[in-house]
Amino acid sequence: MKCINCGADVRLTDKVCPYCGRVIKENAGYRADMEYYKRDSAKTKKKVREILSENIPIVISAIILVVLLIADGVLLYVEENAFYFRESAAQRESVKKYETYSAAIQDYLDAGDYAGFSAFEEYHNIAEWEPPYDDLNLLCDMAKEYSSLVSAVEEVTMFGPDAKWYRPESDIRSCRSAIWYFNFQFEHNLSKIDEDPYKDYIYDMKAKADTIMEVYLGLDEAGRDEYFASSSNKQEAYLEEVLLHD
Amino acid sequence: MTKKTILSISIIVNIILATVFAVSLPGAMGELVYEYVEQDTIRPDTIRKYLEWENYGTVAALSRPIRGGAEVADTDADYYKLGEYAELLFLKEVYKRAGNADSAEACEDRISEIRREMPEYGALLDKIDLSVANAVKE
Repeated sequence: MKCINCGADVRLTDKVCPYCGRVIKENAGYRADMEYYKRDSAKTKKKVREILSENIPIVISAIILVVLLIADGVLLYVEENAFYFRESAAQRESVKKYETYSAAIQDYLDAGDYAGFSAFEEYHNIAEWEPPYDDLNLLCDMAKEYSSLVSAVEEVTMFGPDAKWYRPESDIRSCRSAIWYFNFQFEHNLSKIDEDPYKDYIYDMKAKADTIMEVYLGLDEAGRDEYFASSSNKQEAYLEEVLLHD
Repeated sequence: MTKKTILSISIIVNIILATVFAVSLPGAMGELVYEYVEQDTIRPDTIRKYLEWENYGTVAALSRPIRGGAEVADTDADYYKLGEYAELLFLKEVYKRAGNADSAEACEDRISEIRREMPEYGALLDKIDLSVANAVKE
């Protein structure tokens, strides 16, 4: 606005003209309004501060609640998936120790200890389907079946003089299944086996499985042919005859 | 609902969540501890039970993990070693018949070693010997 005495520019809040010193009355209403708004603004700020101070504990508590909910959720997820985390860590470890592990694996294979190899592979979490172990894939699959066969035959044949055999029928059924499954896998994968870098070991595994059947179940080559040509009921009956009545 | 009520409820919920967190944390961290072998999967109690029942073949099968490098508690080591003994006897016969003289000899060496290490189990080892001898079909 302009001073009506000297014409100089003055501010709306000036009480006197800074150039001519005249008392400015024309902006008195504006200045009163400004004073009112300032006071009102202070009151509003005070009220806001009061509301904030009342709500801050609730806000903090809500934030803590959200954080704890997330933390509990993460813990639950970790507990549910710990097995996979561990397995994954073990597999990474097996890749790191490839040289050591592959030397150990070779020792098992050279000794013809495929059950030991399977135990090694299982308990060191060898990731046989991924590089650098992926060439072991078929050998591992066959060794698992061979290992099951060895276990099944051990379980139905080795008893002390005062042994209690609580589930003979069930164990004999499992033994028949393990033998059948190993042989099925071998026959089923024959074309793959012939192209596998470890085919000699797999054929040796089959020879050992045959020897186990011969030594502990009385099945020589002719006997095995007859056994595998018969029905599952007859196979079970044969095993019962050999294991329970001999 | 007043602000005080909301605050009280949220504090109670926080205490419950914090308790759940504190209780679950050691378990979750324990689950994450990486070990090659979880001994509970090898079931030492089961091995002891089958030893009592003289089911040495089952003991052999259950103990196999130690032949794969599994580590077991010292207190249970003997039971697993008895299983290892039984399995090696079983396999030695197979290697012998299959013409793997070296493997059969390696089994024999380990069998003798276990016998030397466990003189207090002599009678039990004799029973295992007998169980394998009886299992062989001539």
